[in-house]
Amino acid sequence: MHAWTEAPLRRFVGESRVRYAVLLHPSGLVLGQHGFTHAVDVMSACSRAAAIRASAGALGVELSGAPFTDLYYGGAARHIYMAEAATPRGPYMLLTVFDGESSLGLVKLFFERFRAELASAAPPLDAGVIAAPADFEKELQRGLAAVLERGPARTVIGGRG
Amino acid sequence: MTALRPTEFAAMLAALTRHRGVLGSLVADAAQGIVVDASLQHGVAGDAVAALAASLYRKARLSAGAAGLGAVSFLRLEGELGNICVMGAGDLVLVTIAESRTNVGLLRAEMRRAAAALA
Repeated sequence: MHAWTEAPLRRFVGESRVRYAVLLHPSGLVLGQHGFTHAVDVMSACSRAAAIRASAGALGVELSGAPFTDLYYGGAARHIYMAEAATPRGPYMLLTVFDGESSLGLVKLFFERFRAELASAAPPLDAGVIAAPADFEKELQRGLAAVLERGPARTVIGGRG
Repeated sequence: MTALRPTEFAAMLAALTRHRGVLGSLVADAAQGIVVDASLQHGVAGDAVAALAASLYRKARLSAGAAGLGAVSFLRLEGELGNICVMGAGDLVLVTIAESRTNVGLLRAEMRRAAAALA
């Protein structure tokens, strides 16, 4: 368990009232999640998040010379917000799903706090801890095993990062 | 707050912000709490105010509905150092941030006129 992600993620979820949240490294390593109860759902969300990030990044480079880092998708009842959080250990991605209990404004507001808290909580990177680019599926499986073996707690933090 | 391109609301917001004691005014999307346009004095966190004020307005509307009070027309949050006033206008909310010395009655009348033009 990596405690340095726990407090920022728990606070973000509590304040923003998002339904689901997954914090992952671009390599696929899951560091923490909230709301999911099945590993396959986390895996599916992470795979799609990585694909979206890759597409949005390429689109941003194509259109403006720099990758897009934040993404919002407004659905009929549920919405997605995904953004990067830079830390001394490198960038991490936070994928969130929220509904009418929250709003894009609230999620963005508390994400800014989360981003700052995560960056200040991140311990210095040991050489070779995250080898990028890593095998996405392998990293994802390893992170999921760490995150989801912990039982029914709603917000679960884990992984190696 | 990110600089916004002026919209059709710019003149109305500037007029509200010229009131004595008003620190800023903004129009935000009621559902998502995102700023549409704003006229703010330096140091007012427009994005944060918009997100939280729109959230308060939504909750107040739900509370009023649950209590059988009908639609919410005006919401005033009184703080130690000032007030946040919110008025709904269709899918939008009009928000003003004002010091305690502000004449809230006058401000409310101005906001009502502005909100009617918004809706």
